[in-house]
Amino acid sequence: MPVDLLASAAFTLLVVLCALIGGLALAEILARHRARAARRQRTAKQRADILLKQWLSPVQRMQYERDGNFEVQGSHSGKRYRIRSERQMNIDELDDYGRRVAVWCFGPERYLPTGDILLAQKIALENDEQAALAIANRGR
Amino acid sequence: MATQIVMDATGDTRHHFNPANAAAVAEAERRFKALTGAGFTAAVRRGEGRSELVREFDPTAEETVFFPRLQGG
Repeated sequence: MPVDLLASAAFTLLVVLCALIGGLALAEILARHRARAARRQRTAKQRADILLKQWLSPVQRMQYERDGNFEVQGSHSGKRYRIRSERQMNIDELDDYGRRVAVWCFGPERYLPTGDILLAQKIALENDEQAALAIANRGR
Repeated sequence: MATQIVMDATGDTRHHFNPANAAAVAEAERRFKALTGAGFTAAVRRGEGRSELVREFDPTAEETVFFPRLQGG
């Protein structure tokens, strides 16, 4: 009987140890996966930011680096828009005094890093403002 | 060397080609048509801060960027 008890306790201990080791290994794998994903996201953000800056005018680049936003001029209306470095509702329509009169929101239908979104918005407003605003959502 | 820049989740994917190489230009044109056919918008850089939307492949363009179809946010 004591031998059976001892064997049972040893087996239980073995199971617990295996579960513990398995849990630790799984946690390590998940942590590495998360770290890799975070690295990929950082790299993507940096790449998008570099591309954006390459396509900005010198004045826009200066505004973006200083304020985190830049201004573009609509291709049809000549209105000024401020594109802020955010993913949604980030386009301010400005009046002659630089005050916000409306907020617009449109962007690429697939996931892109923020810099790419801002560049797509800039190109759209500067080249085909009407088409861009036709699909955009407007807020105040 | 000309470059086609396709925006994606990694930031972008770049395809470089020699405009003097007919086969490379043909491949770039095929890529252009495939991307725009799939709904991407193409824009060519025309100088500091200036760009132009293009609907036809421009073999003389040094840098063309492609971004996915736009939608209201």
